[in-house]
Formats: sequence, structure tokens, C-alpha cells
Amino acid sequence: MTAQTFGDGVSQIELWHELMQFYINEAWLLDDRKFREWLDLFTDDIFYFMPRRMNVGRHDLSRELSEVGDLAIFEDDKTYMTMRVDRLDTGMAWSEDPPSRTRHIVGNLVIEPLPDGDLKARTAFILYRSHHETDENIFAGSREDHLRKEDGRWRIYKRVIVLDSNVILAKNLSVFF
Amino acid sequence: MAVSNKKYNAIDLETGKLDSRIFSDQDIYQEELEKIFGRTWLMIGHESLVPNLNDFFHTYMGEDPVILTRDDKGKLHAFMNMCRHRGNRIVQADVGNSKNFMCTYHGWTYSNKGDLEYVPGEEEAYYGALERESFHLIEARVDTYAGIVFANWDPGAPSLEEYLGDARWGLDIFFNRLDCGTEAIGPVKWIEPINWKTAVDNCSDNYHVPTTHLSAILVQGKHFGVPRTTHEQQFESPNKHLFINGHSMTLRFLDRPDQARQTHGVNQDNRAVFEEYYRTTLPEAQRRLGSIRAGQLQLGNHSIFPNGVLGFRLAHPRGPLETEFWHFVVLEKGMPDEIKRALRMGNGNFNGVAGLFEQDDMDNWRGVTRSSLTPLARKYSHDLSMGLGRAGSDPRFPGTVAERYTSENNQRNFYRRWEDFMNAEDWADIPIEPGTVEFEGTATMNG
Repeated sequence: MTAQTFGDGVSQIELWHELMQFYINEAWLLDDRKFREWLDLFTDDIFYFMPRRMNVGRHDLSRELSEVGDLAIFEDDKTYMTMRVDRLDTGMAWSEDPPSRTRHIVGNLVIEPLPDGDLKARTAFILYRSHHETDENIFAGSREDHLRKEDGRWRIYKRVIVLDSNVILAKNLSVFF
Repeated sequence: MAVSNKKYNAIDLETGKLDSRIFSDQDIYQEELEKIFGRTWLMIGHESLVPNLNDFFHTYMGEDPVILTRDDKGKLHAFMNMCRHRGNRIVQADVGNSKNFMCTYHGWTYSNKGDLEYVPGEEEAYYGALERESFHLIEARVDTYAGIVFANWDPGAPSLEEYLGDARWGLDIFFNRLDCGTEAIGPVKWIEPINWKTAVDNCSDNYHVPTTHLSAILVQGKHFGVPRTTHEQQFESPNKHLFINGHSMTLRFLDRPDQARQTHGVNQDNRAVFEEYYRTTLPEAQRRLGSIRAGQLQLGNHSIFPNGVLGFRLAHPRGPLETEFWHFVVLEKGMPDEIKRALRMGNGNFNGVAGLFEQDDMDNWRGVTRSSLTPLARKYSHDLSMGLGRAGSDPRFPGTVAERYTSENNQRNFYRRWEDFMNAEDWADIPIEPGTVEFEGTATMNG
């Protein structure tokens, strides 16, 4: 592959490989329930957002995703994300006790440079969740992350998750995306 | 209707025993669709969801899909989303703007006032014999309260104002406080494996909060500085539980008029902003609601019969064992952006499908729902005996008032109200409590 490079001379393929490892690691952290370590992949100013996905006509696709200011499925800052993780450690977070069994499959990585050496990374995911005896959910969607280097490693400062669902066919979303 | 003909006796008001079959029986469910969802005023939307001429918002009344339209004159309509030819849906989108709705099966086309305006081949295929005027979309009665749109299929039903009755005295405290009115954002939609009544019943259940939601309470305390309710505060709270005309509400006493309301999203960092807001808006609220409702009370958990849950949130029935839940957040239009953001994030992240609080409810409600699925289990009734005989009138409030904040009085009354509808031939048999309370202030149903 031609050595197309970003600003600091790192080749695109090297960067793609680095980011892919980052996302594979993230998926294992989630599925191994290492949520504290997962939380540490996000900056303190993280904006973690999952808009509602409307079912609209083709001529109305500009309305398909709810905007910031409308009600979202997730609109978390670091405090809310930390509360979600802290909750699990109280021993009384019933929706996750017994915990979900999850499998995050992440792929289709596309990266795009941003000013100041930041990156935009899009991934597609399938999240399988099994809970209690027979509950099963499959969530499919995409994530668009903004990342920057902090202390020599990538951290996410903005994540927008778009589910490929209108009415969510799950009793709750007590798992992370 | 004579009591001796009473068919359903689900709740025993003497003992608090509840027949759990009402949560899972398919025949009972079918009857609910007709006798409850076919008769009551149902919340279907909010004016802010259809702000422009020719906007539409797709909603439900029970299991029936309904199109809420604002026509080209600004008038609201609610139509069954059903072509009068072969019954197909004529709208497939959640929202949009259109003067016409064309059925994609054969092209029958309706105006957003419900008139059948165009039929392909009307002269040739139908020989001009089709009486188009008789194929108006099935239209429900529509009325609004403080921006919330209600609809009703039953021409024999009383007005929305009578249906809400004195419950409006309490609802006004949240929904009708300011001249600017409210807006609804949302909904987040998801399917819960529960009977719809369990979610409504739970609105009156202050008992579950310290157990079901303990994890969320603990982290809210840690990160938001919201203190954990003590045993004494939980069980000896002076706050009141009211039951009025089928509607349930908790009223909480404020320490002072500008006290930040106890709601999701208020924390130690923004509490002062909330208090400033309540201080600034107090004179207007007092003019509209009087000093008691504007400055001494907060509307807490409440439900609007049959399926309104904690404000303008909807539990749409989807068979006895499933409910499609619609989570909205209602904001006062004039709120500063910082407050809107805090309430949006707070209500979005604490309640809703991913809510730190609400995600812990569903498995419990499912357990309640499914507890009657076997012949053995349904022999054992549910117990709603808490606070039996400990409710009555209170000169300060309309309706029936439980002595204690934690009581099952409202749940008992909810199921009694359910029986009112299930055992009635028509609206003539369904009691409506006459309004008795004086509405201090200038606020009306709309304005």
C-alpha cells in the first residue's frame, strides 16, 4: 500500500492498525466486564450521545436523527458515564445483576484526520446481549468517534452512536455501546 | 348498572387482594382494548410535536395506529391510520408534513382533514357509484389540556375537562405553571415485556423506590449531592398521595417557593440556577395558580388514567404481555438553556430505556405480569393491603387522600377504576366525580 501519511509521518495503514487494535481492546474490555478500564478510554470532557432514530420518508431524511436539544437515548457526560459504571459496583443494580452476557463485534473502521492531530473514526458494530434465562437482543449500529492523544494514547472525546432501530426491541439498555 | 351484574371483581377493597389474571389473560386484554382504550381520553401527543400547519405525528390509541394532524387551518385531528378501502395504513412515517395521505396499496388519497379526495378509476372502475363522502377517515374527538393532546373514540364520553376533573388542580402545578406553556421532546420508544397496567400502577408505588432504585440513588448521592432518603423520610413523609377520577398523584411540600423541584437533573452545581428560575417565575406562577399551588407544592409521581405514566409518557398496550413505552420529557418553553439541558439529560439518563433508575424496573414488572401465567400461581392473589382504611378526604386537597406517602391506596383505586370501565355497558355507567375544588388563579384548560 502506498505510504499515504498523516501530519506526523505515520502511515495511514499503521494508524488504521493502531486504531483497530484500540477498538478490539475496547470490545474485550466491555465483554470481559472491565468497565473501569473501559471508562478510562474516554476523556474527562467526553460527550457520549445516542440520538433517537426516526422512521421518516426519504424526502425527510434530514429529520432521521434527533439533534442535540431534543431527547436522546443517551446524552452523557463523564459524570453520567461514571454513574453508570459506579452503579454496577453497588451490588444493587438489578438490571445488571445477574449481569448481561455481551459480545461486541466491531469493524468497518474508517479514519479521517482532524485538525491538531485528532482523528475521526467510524465503526460499525453488532452487540449481542443475553440476559437472565432467555432474553436476547441484537443491537446493530454505527459509532462515530472523535479521538485525541492524551499522555501518548488515544482517548475518545466525542462518541455518537446510531442504532439501526426505531422502536428498540429490548426491555432496557443497561449495556454499553 | 346494578352491582349484582358486575363481571370483574379483580380488586377486593376490603382486603386489598388483587386477582393477578388481569395481567396476562388474553380475553381480558381484548376487552380492555374496547372498554378502556375505546372509551377513555387518551394522551396521544403534544401540540409542540406538530408546530406547523400540515404537520403530522404518528401515535397510538391502545393498539390502533393514529395520525395526529394539524390541518391547513391549524386545527388538530386524530385519525385512525387505516384506509377505508382495505384497511391498510396510509401513513408509514413517525413524523412529517403533508396535506395529503395516499394509501400505497391502490392510491386512495385523503386530506389531512380526513376527507377521501381522490380514488383512482372512480368513474371507470366504480362507475361513479362510490360515495366518497362516506369514506372519511375514522376520526376521534380531540381536545387539549395545557398543550397535551388527548383523543377519544367514544362520542358518549364526557368532555376532557370533566374527565380530568379535579385532577387538573394537581396537574396544573407542573403542566400549567407559566404563560409560555410547555414543549415535549421525544419520544424514545421501546418494547417492555410487561402488562401495561404494571407501569401505571407503579406510578403510585412510592414503596419500591428505596429497594428497586437503590443503586441509582447511591450514585446520584455520590455524584449529584442528592441525599439518600432516610427510613423516616420514606415512611413518615408528610407528602401526600391523591386519587382523583382515576388519576393518581403525589404532591410534595416545598420548604420555600424557590426550592429546586425534586426532579432528575438537579444537582449541587446547578441547584442555584433552578432556584433563580423559580424565584423569577414565581409571580407569574402565583397569578396563574394561586400561592398554594405555585409556591407550596410540587407535583411528584403521577399517572393519568388509563396509561399516562409520570407526566406525558405513554404505556401503549401490545398484547397482555408487552407494552410499547414512549418516553417524553416536558419542558417549560421559556426555561433557560442550562435548565433545559439539565432536565433533558437528567430525565433522559435517569428515566427511559437506558435510565439509571428506570432500567431496574422492567424485570420486576415482568415478574408481576407473568406471575399469573400458570394455573397454580394464579391461585395466589397479589397483596395490595398497605394502608387499608387509612385514606379519606383532606380539606387541603381534592380527591381521596392516603394518610401516608407510602400507601397502596392509589393502586387499589386504580384497579377499582379499571373495574368501573370493564364492568360498564357504556359511559352512562361510569362514574365521574363532580368537580369540587376551587381553581385559584387565572390558568384554564388552555391558557
